Amino acid sequence: MAKIELTRSPLIKNALKSRYPQLAVFVVMLVGYIFAILAGLIGTPVGSHNFSIVFVWIAWWAILILVAVPFFGRGWCAVCPIPLPGEWLQRGAVLSPPDKRPKWLNLRVPKIFRNIWLQNISFLLLALFSSVLLTTPNITGIVLAAMLFAAIGLSTVFERRAFCRYLCPVGGFIGLYSQTAPIELRIKDKQVCVSCEGKPCYNGSQVGYGCPWDVFPGGLTKNTYCGLCMECIRTCPHDNIAVNLRPFSADLSKPSTRMDEAFKAFIMLGSAMIYAGVLLGPWGSLKDAAYNVGTSAWFIYAVIFLAIIFIILPGIFRLMIFPSPTGRDAALSLSKGAGVRAFASLSTALIPLGLMFWVAFSLSFVLTNASYILAALSDPLGLGWNLFGTANIAWQPMLTSILTPAQTLALVGGLIWSARTAQKAAGEVKVSPIPVIVYCFLTTSLMLWLLL
Amino acid sequence: MKRSELFSRILIVAGILLAVGAPLFLWTRTPLIHARMAEDGGWNPDVIRAEVGESLHLKITSDDVVHGFAVGQMDMQSVDILPGKVSDITLNFDRPGIYTFFCTRWCGLNHWRMRGTIEVSGSPSDPEPAAVPLYVSLDLDLDAPHEVPIIPSTQPSADNGQRLAVQLPFDFSADYYRSHSPYQAFNDLSATSLTESQRWDVVAYLWQTNTTSESLANGQKLYAQNCASCHGENGAGDGVFADDLAIAGESSMQTMEGAMDMMMQTPVDFTDPRRMLGAIPALLQGKILRGGMGTGMPMWGSIFTEEQIWDLIAYIYSFQFEYQN
Amino acid sequence: MRFRFSLLLCVMAGLVVAFAPLPVQPITPQEQTFQIDAHQFAYSPSELKVNPGDTVTIRLVSTDVVHGLYVDGYDVSVEADPGQSATLTFVADKPGSFRFRCNITCGAMHPFMIGKITVGTNNWLLRSIGLAALAVMGVMISIKPKA
Repeated sequence: MAKIELTRSPLIKNALKSRYPQLAVFVVMLVGYIFAILAGLIGTPVGSHNFSIVFVWIAWWAILILVAVPFFGRGWCAVCPIPLPGEWLQRGAVLSPPDKRPKWLNLRVPKIFRNIWLQNISFLLLALFSSVLLTTPNITGIVLAAMLFAAIGLSTVFERRAFCRYLCPVGGFIGLYSQTAPIELRIKDKQVCVSCEGKPCYNGSQVGYGCPWDVFPGGLTKNTYCGLCMECIRTCPHDNIAVNLRPFSADLSKPSTRMDEAFKAFIMLGSAMIYAGVLLGPWGSLKDAAYNVGTSAWFIYAVIFLAIIFIILPGIFRLMIFPSPTGRDAALSLSKGAGVRAFASLSTALIPLGLMFWVAFSLSFVLTNASYILAALSDPLGLGWNLFGTANIAWQPMLTSILTPAQTLALVGGLIWSARTAQKAAGEVKVSPIPVIVYCFLTTSLMLWLLL
Repeated sequence: MKRSELFSRILIVAGILLAVGAPLFLWTRTPLIHARMAEDGGWNPDVIRAEVGESLHLKITSDDVVHGFAVGQMDMQSVDILPGKVSDITLNFDRPGIYTFFCTRWCGLNHWRMRGTIEVSGSPSDPEPAAVPLYVSLDLDLDAPHEVPIIPSTQPSADNGQRLAVQLPFDFSADYYRSHSPYQAFNDLSATSLTESQRWDVVAYLWQTNTTSESLANGQKLYAQNCASCHGENGAGDGVFADDLAIAGESSMQTMEGAMDMMMQTPVDFTDPRRMLGAIPALLQGKILRGGMGTGMPMWGSIFTEEQIWDLIAYIYSFQFEYQN
Repeated sequence: MRFRFSLLLCVMAGLVVAFAPLPVQPITPQEQTFQIDAHQFAYSPSELKVNPGDTVTIRLVSTDVVHGLYVDGYDVSVEADPGQSATLTFVADKPGSFRFRCNITCGAMHPFMIGKITVGTNNWLLRSIGLAALAVMGVMISIKPKA
C-alpha cells in the first residue's frame, strides 16, 4: 500500500499552514480546559454530574482512545491546550513570530531526562491514584491545573515544549501508540534537507519557530515524538514536508530498541488489565484497596500494581523469549547488548495489543456512562442549570448489544496485529516470533476473561 | 504589534475571563444548601432563617448519596435530594418558632442525626403551651426494664377477643389503653372467668380497637421508612444497621461516662413478647419522643406529630397480636 | 494461492467459532431467588449463576445508603433504601455473562459498583478465546519464508 500525500491538496495544506484555524481550535480547547478546572474546583463533588469528570474522563478520553490515537496518532497533541500559555510566553506572541530572541531561560533539558522515563513515572503516579482521580472532581481540577502550571513553569526554564516531550503522562503513551497510526508527517526528499542551510525547521526563522518537540524533521522516521504542531511546514523554505496517509503501523516495521519505550508498552498493557479487573470486575475488596489511598490495603495494591508492570509482565516476556539465561543466548551468539535490544524490539509487538486493550476497556465504561455527557453539558457545575435543555436526561447505558462483539473484535484484531508485528520484529533479530505470539495470546485471553 | 496578534490576544483573554468569570459569578449567586452524610457534616448550612407569612425558597443539592428533605411536624411531602442535582422547595410558615428539618432517605448509620433548624420569626400568635407527654404525667421510668413473667403460648387473636369482649365489663377506652401494658391488662382481666389464652385474646382486641386500619397502614409506612433499618423489616431487631450499632457502642457520640448500661445496645426486638407485652404505650411514646439517651435510638419529638407516633406504636404492637383487617 | 486458501479457511473457521450454535443442554427452567446485600461500593454476593430460562428473583438489601441494581443486557433494575428491601424478578432468557451495576448515585466509586450474573455458560467468552487461538494459528500459518 502506498502513501497518499494529504498536503498535496491545497485545501488541506493551507488549512495546516495557516495559523488561524489552529488558533481557533486552540482558543476553544484552552477555554474548555480552564472551565474544566473551574468546574472541578467549585462544582458539585458528585463526579457524574460535574463537567470536569464527565468531559475529561468520559468524553475526552473516549475521543482520545477510540478516535484520535488509532486514526491520528499524536493528533490530540496537535490541539492540546496545556503547552499553549507557556509557549506563548516563550515566544512573546500568540500568532506571528516576532524577530527577537526568546526572552526566557531556554535551557536544554538535561540529557539524563531526555527519554520517556519521566513520562512512565508520571503516568504510573496517576494510575496508582486513578480511582480517586476518576471519581473526584476537585482532584481532577487540581491535576489539570498542576499540569498547566507545570507546563508553564517548564517553558520558562527550558526550551521548546519540555512538558509535552518529557513529562506529560498522556504524551508518553500517545507517542508510543502513534506508531500504529495511518497518518504521519515526513520530509519528501532527503537530498533537499542535506543541502538546506540553517535548517529552519529545527532552528526557526522569520516565519515560524523551530520544532517545539525538539525533533529534527529531516530525520523523522517514526511518529513517536512528532506532535503534529505543523510549525515545520510553515518554516520549511523548500516545501519539503508533507503529511501523509499511510498503512496502519508502518512505523513498527522498524521496531524501536529503546528500553524506556519497551517498558511503556508493558506499563500500558499491564494497567489496562489491572483497570479491567479492579474497576470493571465484581471484586469489591480490590476497589476498596484502590480507592482508599493511604491505607495499608492501598499500599499493598500499589506494590502489586508496580510488581505486575515492572517484574511479572516483563519477566515472563523475557523468560519466554530467552528461556535459559545462558544456553540459548549463547547458541544464538547474542551479546548482552543485543539481548537487551532484542527484548526491546520484540516488545514493540505489544504496542498494537496494548492499544486494543485500552480500546476494549474504554468502550465498556464509555458506552455505559456516555449518557452523562449531555446532562453535564446543560448543568456543568451541578447548580441546577439547564443550558441546553438536557440536564434531566436519565442515565442509560448505550449500544449495549454491540459492546461485547466490539470488544472481541478489538482484542482479537489487536492480537492478529500484534502477531504480525511480532513476526516482523522477530525477523529483524533472527529469533522465532512464536514465544511473543503465545505471550500475546495468553494476555489477550486474560483480558477477554476480565472484560467479557 | 500586528492587528491580528492584538486581536488574538484579546480573544484569548476575553474567552478565559468569560469561561471563568461567568460561572463564578453565577455560582456566588446560587446559594445552595448542601446535603452530606452525617459523618461528613450533614446539612450545610444547618440553620435557616425565615419569616412568618413570607415564602421560603430553598435550593438543596446532595454532595454524595441520595438524601431527602422534610420539615418535622409540618404537613408536607418529603422531597428527594439527589446527588449532583438541585431540588427547589418552597415553604410557608404561619407560626413563628424553631422547626426541625431532617433527612428522609436513609444515608448511613447516622442518618437520623442529619437535622437542622429553621428559625421562623414574626409576631407570635397565641403561644401554645407544650403538651406534657403522657409518660411524664404518669411518672414512668422510660429506661426501667419491663420483662413479663407470663407470655401467651400462641399469638393472641383480636378476632377471638372481640367475640369474648362483647359482654365484658372492661374499660376499652383510649385512656386505659395508653396507660397500661398488655400484661397489666391481662392481669386486670383475671377478675373475669376467662382462660389465660382467652384473656390474651381480649387484650389483643383492646389493642386493635384503639387503632384503625388506616392508622396501622400509616404506622407501617412510618416504620418502614424510619425504623426498619435498625429494628429490622420484620421487627426482630435485626435491621441492616443492628451490627454496626453494637460495634459503635464504645465510640458513641452520646455515651456518658460511667453509664455503661447506657451504651449502644442492639435495637429492640419487637417480636419478643417478654419485652413488648410489658411495654405501656405511653412508655413507647416516651421512648420515641425522647430517644434512647446513648443507646443509638433517635429522638423523634421534633419530627413526628402525636398522631404519627400513636400510629407507629399501634403498628409496633402488631408484631405481637393477630389483628383482623 | 495456497496463502489465500488458508486465509479463507481461517476466516470460515472464525465464522464457525463465532456463530455456530452450540449444543444446548436441556435443563428445566427453575425459579431461583437470591438475596444481594449492597454496600458502598460492592454487592454481596457479587457473582450469581443461573440456568437459561430460569425465573430469577433478586431481593436487594441496601445496608448503608440507597442503592440500585441494574442488569446490563436485560435493562431491568430495582432500587432499595436501607430498611426497605426491594425485589426484582425477570426471566433469564438471554444466555451469557452480564454485569449488574448500581444505578443510583451512591458515592464516589458508584460507577464501578459492579457484579456479574452468568446465565448458562459464558459462551461468548469461550468463542472469543477460540477466535483468538484461531487468529494466532492463522498468523503462524502465514509465515512465509522470505525469498
